[in-house]
Amino acid sequence: MDETALIQTAQHGDLDSFNTLILHYQDMVFHTALRILGDEDLAADASQEAFISAFRSINSFRGGSFKAWLMRTVTNACYDEFRRQKRRPTTPLEPESADGEEMDSPRWLADPNMTPAEKFEADELEHAIQHCLDALPTDFRTVVVLADIQGMDYSEVAISVRVPLGTIKSRLARARLRLRECLRGFEELLPSSFRLEEESNL
Amino acid sequence: MNNFRDIEQLSSYLDGQLSPSESARVESRLSSDPKLASAYNDIRAARGILRKLPARKAPRNFTLTRQMVGLKPPLPRTYSVFRFSSALAAFLLMLTFAANTVMPRVSFGASAPAPLAQGNYGSGGGCDGGCSGDVPESVVTEVVVAEAPSIEFAAAPTNALPSTSADSARNAGTPTVAAVMPKDSGNESALQDQPAVKSEAVVPVVWQIGLLMIALVSALFAFVMSRSAKKKWS
Repeated sequence: MDETALIQTAQHGDLDSFNTLILHYQDMVFHTALRILGDEDLAADASQEAFISAFRSINSFRGGSFKAWLMRTVTNACYDEFRRQKRRPTTPLEPESADGEEMDSPRWLADPNMTPAEKFEADELEHAIQHCLDALPTDFRTVVVLADIQGMDYSEVAISVRVPLGTIKSRLARARLRLRECLRGFEELLPSSFRLEEESNL
Repeated sequence: MNNFRDIEQLSSYLDGQLSPSESARVESRLSSDPKLASAYNDIRAARGILRKLPARKAPRNFTLTRQMVGLKPPLPRTYSVFRFSSALAAFLLMLTFAANTVMPRVSFGASAPAPLAQGNYGSGGGCDGGCSGDVPESVVTEVVVAEAPSIEFAAAPTNALPSTSADSARNAGTPTVAAVMPKDSGNESALQDQPAVKSEAVVPVVWQIGLLMIALVSALFAFVMSRSAKKKWS
């Protein structure tokens, strides 16, 4: 895929070229939105909005990292979604059962390729990590999702969230510190290679 | 307890964001400070957990349609010509209606005697003594007398009641209501005798029909072109 050529033709209004870019980036965009928002439906809405917004403003892209530019539209869409959530009643992250209790391993977190035991563990771990991510302030969460989950470098993250590099370093360090504290509460769920206390005692 | 500056440095060191000299300094501190090493391992473990999170696939394709982004189909150049001519014809049509309503062309019958018409519709009492030429004197006098009662009506209640000789003498200079009335009614009959005013439209109806047809046909062509372009687009 010649990304530069596709971007250029999309800038001339070619929707098919832009749709090719969407197919390439949609998983990453959705995963980012999911980790920031913590809800699959909201993440899907935010992803769609982000792509629409990206197509409409594609002429503002002046080169550089398209991924970072796209992530900026995603984070903006997520912030818009947060603002909408504040204006209307929110739905819980975990689906509720018939008797009103939260389901521990919701169906929507399941991966069909795993054994039941693996699925259970993965669901629990993912649930725990998402819980800790949700506990972070939005700005910290966005930075940690982009840097640690998406593996973007600091300069790309700085472009995506439009803050200086020093702020990225600071936010990332604070976010990791808080995550470390939060994940201590889920020690039994973590794989042995990631047991924090064991690592700390090294 | 490590301060936040240390944590920030460890986080940057973990991501390889420090300069070689800073990295060397952190490494020497890590080897000599077990608490710092413990904090570093914690941060590294937290990052490792996040990186191990399974990537979630998009639940559906987010590809865009033309309707979603509000793209309009390319229209032929003649579309704008038809649209413009339709709008222009409609505007001109409205102008013709306005012209015919506001500025009707007024004309009088050919048999109307010009001097009389001029005298009656002219300056009213402004001709006392000043009017001359072909206007007959009797007509001028009639007009002047006809104007006078309008002033007299205001004082009429007091002046008309007693009919003493002194009052008659005092009021002799101005005609009484009773005296004026016949003349006034005579004036009305004079007005009735005048020829009827005939108004004609400024813009002929044929033009209006023509403009209406142009507006409708152009709009129809533009609409058909737009529909066919949309059909081809989809």
